[in-house]
Formats: sequence, structure tokens, C-alpha cells
Amino acid sequence: MRKPQILMAFLSAALLGAAHPASAQTLTVGLDADPPRLDPALSTALVDRQVMNQIFDKLVDLDANLKVIPALATSWKVTNGGLTYTFKLRSGVKFSDGTPLDAAAVKYGLDRNRTLEGSARKNELSSVKEVKVIDPQTVQLTLSQPYGPLLAVLTDRAGMIVSPTAAKKAGTDFQNNPVGSGPFTFVSRVRQDNITLNANKSYWGGVPKIDKLVYRPFPDGDVRYANLLSGAVQAITPIDPKDVSKLEQNPKFNVLNYPGIGFQGVWFNVTRPPFNNKNFRQAVAATIDREAIAKSIFYGTVTPAAGPFPPGTAAASSAITVQKPNLALAKQKLGGKPLSFTLLTTPGSVTTQLAQVYQAMFAQAGITAKIEQVEFGTLLDRADKQDYDALMLGWSGRPDPDGNIYDFFTTGGTNNQAGYSNKTVDGLLAKARAQNAMSARIATYNVALGTIISDTPYTWVYFQRNLVGSVKGLTGLKPIPDGILRFKDVDLK
Amino acid sequence: MAVFALRRLLSSIPTLLIVTLLVFAMVKLLPGDPARLILGQEATPQALAELRRSLGLDRSLPEQYLSWLASAVQLDFGTSLTDNSSVGRLIAQKLPVTLELALFAMLISMLISLPAGILSAVRRNTWIDRALTLFALSGISLPNFFLGILLIYLFSIRLAWIPASGYTSLLENPGRNLLLLLLPAITLGIGSAAVLTRYLRSSLSETLAQDYVRTAHAKGLPAGRVISKHALKNALIPFLTAFGLQLGGLLGGAVITEQIFSIPGFGRLLVDAVFTRDLPVIQAVVLVSAVAVFLVSFLVDLGYAAVDPRIRYH
Repeated sequence: MRKPQILMAFLSAALLGAAHPASAQTLTVGLDADPPRLDPALSTALVDRQVMNQIFDKLVDLDANLKVIPALATSWKVTNGGLTYTFKLRSGVKFSDGTPLDAAAVKYGLDRNRTLEGSARKNELSSVKEVKVIDPQTVQLTLSQPYGPLLAVLTDRAGMIVSPTAAKKAGTDFQNNPVGSGPFTFVSRVRQDNITLNANKSYWGGVPKIDKLVYRPFPDGDVRYANLLSGAVQAITPIDPKDVSKLEQNPKFNVLNYPGIGFQGVWFNVTRPPFNNKNFRQAVAATIDREAIAKSIFYGTVTPAAGPFPPGTAAASSAITVQKPNLALAKQKLGGKPLSFTLLTTPGSVTTQLAQVYQAMFAQAGITAKIEQVEFGTLLDRADKQDYDALMLGWSGRPDPDGNIYDFFTTGGTNNQAGYSNKTVDGLLAKARAQNAMSARIATYNVALGTIISDTPYTWVYFQRNLVGSVKGLTGLKPIPDGILRFKDVDLK
Repeated sequence: MAVFALRRLLSSIPTLLIVTLLVFAMVKLLPGDPARLILGQEATPQALAELRRSLGLDRSLPEQYLSWLASAVQLDFGTSLTDNSSVGRLIAQKLPVTLELALFAMLISMLISLPAGILSAVRRNTWIDRALTLFALSGISLPNFFLGILLIYLFSIRLAWIPASGYTSLLENPGRNLLLLLLPAITLGIGSAAVLTRYLRSSLSETLAQDYVRTAHAKGLPAGRVISKHALKNALIPFLTAFGLQLGGLLGGAVITEQIFSIPGFGRLLVDAVFTRDLPVIQAVVLVSAVAVFLVSFLVDLGYAAVDPRIRYH
């Protein structure tokens, strides 16, 4: 009799320890990946931004309508034909290590992003010629050529300001000891397990309502979902599309479902057969039923796409409409010639399903597609080398429209996986970049898109939405389309 | 015995060298470019070239292999490409977690398979044996990920008894540590328990049919004593070999189980490293696993030699 009693006592003790709810002020958030690099200069993964946004302040931020709003910079002026940006800084701000956040620190941060070896921000900040300290509260950026998207770029990693003291001290290890001035401060990380942040008690914008913010990675969607249901985490992002309606019907949880800024679709390699033939590209694009894909594979959690600018973003235009499937047109474009090719994609249940649905849709027009799956690094590598026929690849999106189009369709652009080159498009996209008024830029984009859509180096299929699940007691989460959750004003009851 | 151990150890050096060569070659043969994966979709060609150079990827393969081997022998596995932390330190952090999980799983596996195997052999071809066979077959065929999700659904979501995921170290909070490892250990242990049950059933059945067992029965010894004193001892030798092999297998099975239960162990380190093309980590993890499997088989051999002196002279 004794052994079972001991066991019971032990088990109940263990259960008590486990069942004891986390203190009301600790919020645990489930992410879909372990953020690799918590350094604004070195980060290349989308998920890094979820954590870094709490640790670092940015010069400017985005609101729910993707409008650029003040953050560290309280105001700014663009002068000299778009070549000079002058920022007035908030006074009295300190990094969490005590270093004052002044114009010199901002200059250090921006220059570090521009020049650090291995910095992934060099491209975004390539138009910046010089960062100047005017006075302790004023910093000025001089550009080598007008670059309309600059402010939007500064709402992301390029505009995050790191503590100069900490960055100089830590060197390349800064990503494991990040110090900023944001609403939360970095405490510790255990790879594949958690990243723990504490509320910054001296935050200039007021102390966050939650004391502790813990991020945990759950690469598997079912596991992420199960952890939310079981109470191990209080919020998850993203939710798998198949779980969205289940969670919406569960009275204990909230679902935030709001538009994102990215797109998904298919690249065609225009540098070699079969897709150096424009008719073939158009034929394939015409077989795709975008509505059906949104409904059947994504349970309505995505929006059919017409171009690179999702609805609700500045450059979205009603002039460009979602292409309807048209098998007659596809067959006419094929002109009786056989078309077979290999569709390159990454493994994963959703991508596999999607690839198979594409395959079936192509087949309706007599097009044969073979599916080849390789992991993401290989896919990018083969895309770079233009060693593919067609491939499935999307983009997480940028708040400024330029970030969703320029590098994709200009000759030699870093994201131009098709090897597409069109002088007219090059000229138009460069022109849009130099324009400051959004209305003028939209008009330019629409003209460029007319050509791009007709040339079809890429065909857009759907826009992702941001899907966040949380317990009912979590309040104050704002749906910012960049998909980054900001926890400063979030409360947990 | 010491001579045997030394000879056995020395003879394995060439094998281990081949293992290192294979590990290195395997990782190099993986398609794709780590620099591309690190820099992601936004990489510029200059940044890629810069990174390749700083990673040493522009050197010749033999050069890369030799310098890797030279440091690996000194237990220096380089730094992780994802966050610059020392690979040795990462492994030192993760390995104990997985070892603890594997040992816990083995304990569960033993607790199930010993009685189940004995019962099955003694009550051969009765309904108990058939029920246990059914258990063993389902245990072998149920994939880890399915069983794991099933357990989470039952114990974490429906009953809310055990948290669905997480890890607390044994030193920090032993109760919570064991609680959190319970479901993953069951997930891992059941598959191996099923295999071991079948092993024990067949080896014990064989032993029970031997003449000396019949003699023991004929002498009027109680059945329990015949089984525990005479039959089981001999039946356990092949069982222990299987047990050693299972331990090696558990380290592999932990990869999936650690994903499901979000345990920051060796398996997840490997999966993450594969996804992020973190070559130094992949190489080190595979090498350490190979050495671990080698060590287990070495110990099993020593155990054999201790039990059966004939083996030492072969």
C-alpha cells in the first residue's frame, strides 16, 4: 500500500506545481519558428521581428492603416527634393543599459545597419549616403537619390536603434545579448525552448501592463494549437487555416484575422524553355482558379490576389482585378503545342496540397506539371541560379509598395527570380521610387503592372492574412498589417 | 578483460574515422547553400560572397574536412551559423535533456515490457497473450507523432492534468521536470516496450521449452521460482542486447517526440539545424550521435564478454 501512496503524493505535488497558473503578468506567446538572430542588422528571418520589436525602438512605426507614425522620432521633414530627411528625436530616452538615446546613438545604429559585415540591411539603406548629427535631438539623413520608401523601411529592422555601448561591447555576439530602448528588455534565451523578456520599468512610453513576455517556438501547427488550447501559451501566431473556425467557435478564445502585406504565387523562369515563351506563361496563369484555392485549401483565410499590393495597403488599386480561370484562353495560348514542366516547391502539408491543386488545374488545359520538392535554402539557391522551370515562392511583404515590387521585376533585382528584364518596367519602377506623392506612385505602378501582368514572369495567386489566436483575457492587441504583435499596451486578465 | 576492451577500442578507430568522413561528406552533399539560407530572400550577391568567405566555404573540401576534424578531435565543433554560439556549448546544453528523456523512456519501456513479456511467454496462446500481442503490434505500428498528439489531446486538453509542452531542468524543479517528461517518455517508451515485449516473449518461450526447465519443474519447484531463477536469467541475455539497440534507436526517435512536446533537446537541435542549414551543428550532432551509438554497442560487447568469457577470445 505504501508505494502507491508515495506515488500519489508525488504526482499530486507535481500536478500542483504544474497546474499553478502562471502569474497574471506573464504572457507566453507561441511562434512558428525559433527566431534565429536578434540583431536588427543581421536578422533575415521574419520571425525575428516579433521579438526584436519589443526590445528595440524604431525611428518611426506603423499604425493599423500602415501610416507611418512617430516613435523615437517625434517629427520629420523631407526636403531638398526628397534627398534630405531630418528627424527630431524624443528627449530623455535611455537604452535599458542606461546609455542615453540621442542623435549620436541613432547615427551609430543606422550606420551599423548600413555597414556592419554581413548586414542584411545594406540593400534597404543603399540610398543613404550619410547620417549626420545636427544636435543631440536632431539627426539628418542625406540620400544619393530620392527614395520614397525610406520612411517605411525605417519602421522595420533598418530603423531599429541598438545601444552603442552594448553593441560595441558584445561584437558579433550582440544577437545573443540584444540591448535596445523598447518596452521590454532581453533576459535570456534557450534555443528551441524560449526567449524571455521583462517589462522595461523605465520605458518612455509608459510601463507595459504585463511583467514578463515569453516567446516559445512550435514549428508544428497542431502542436502550437494544442498548446493554446491547453493553456501552456496565451497567444499563438500564426494559426493553421484549418483551425481558425474551430478556434473562433470556442468561447474561451479570440481570433484576430486581419490582412497582411505579403503575396504568394508562381515564378516562371523566362530565361529558358518552356517559359521563355510568353504564351506558355499566360496559359499556365489562366488555368489557376484563385477563388477555389482560397476556399478549399485555406478555408477562406486568404484573399485571391491580382497583383503585388494587398487590399488595404496604400498602392492597392481596383484597376487591377483578380484573373478568373479561363481554360479556353489557356488552350488558345498553347496553340495546340504540348506543354510539360517541373514545378519546384518546398515540402510541407499546405504547399504539397497547393502544388497538387495547381497540377490538377494545369491538367484541365492539357498542361503536364511534375512536382519537385526541395527544402527552402535549395529552392532559393536554384531560383538564384535560374535552375528551374516554375516555382512556388511568395513574399512576406513590406509596408511601402516599393518593397513588394521593385526588387522583383527590375532587371537584375535581388528578388527577380524569373530573370525578367523589361526596360519600360525598369524605368517605371525607378520613377515610382523617386516620386514622393503616393497618388503619383500608384499611377506609375498601375502602368508598370499592366506590362508585368501581360508578360507574366510571375503570377499572383493569394494574399496571406495575419491569424492570431489568444485567450479571451488578453486585450489591447492591435492588428497592424505587418503581422508583428506589439505587446506594450497588452493586458492579461 | 582489459586487453579485450583495449583491442576492441583500438579496432574502432578506423571505423570512427570513416564515420567522420561520411558525416562531413553527407553534409557537403546536401543541396543548397548555407549562405543563401542565412541571408534569406533579400540577399545581395556581394553579401553572399562575403558570408561564404567568412564561413570558409570558399576553401577546398579536403582543407575544410581536415580543419574540421582537427578541431572536432579537441571537442571544438566551431560556432553555430545561426547565432554564433559555440556548438560544443549547445550540445552540452541539449544532450543531457535527451539522455534524461531516453532513460526515462527506457524505464517506462522496462516497466511495461518485463511483466508483459513474461506474462505473454508463460501464458502462451491464451487470451492474455493475444491481448498483449495486440498491444505490442499497435505499439510497434503507432507512429510517435500520432501517439504524442493523442496523449496531448487526452491529458493536456481534455483532462488538463499535464502541460502540453515545455521543459524544466531536473535541478531546478524535479517534480515539474518529471511531470513534463512523462508524456514524451511514454510516447517514446511505448514503441520500444512493444518491441522488447516481443523479444522477451520469444526468448523466454524458447528457454521455457528447454530440458533443464522441465527438470526444475519435475523436481517440484514452484513455477514462480522456475521462471525467475532458471529461465528468466538466460532469456534476459538476448533481451539486453535488444535493449542496448533500442537505446540507440531512442535517441533517433527523440527527434520527433521532442518536436511534438517542444523539448529543447538534441533532436530538436538537429531538426532546427537542418532547416537553417547550420552545418557545424549538423556535423557535430550527427558525429556525437554516431559516437554515442558506438559507445552503447561497445558497452554491450563488454557486458557480453563479462557474462560469457568465450567471447573475449574471439
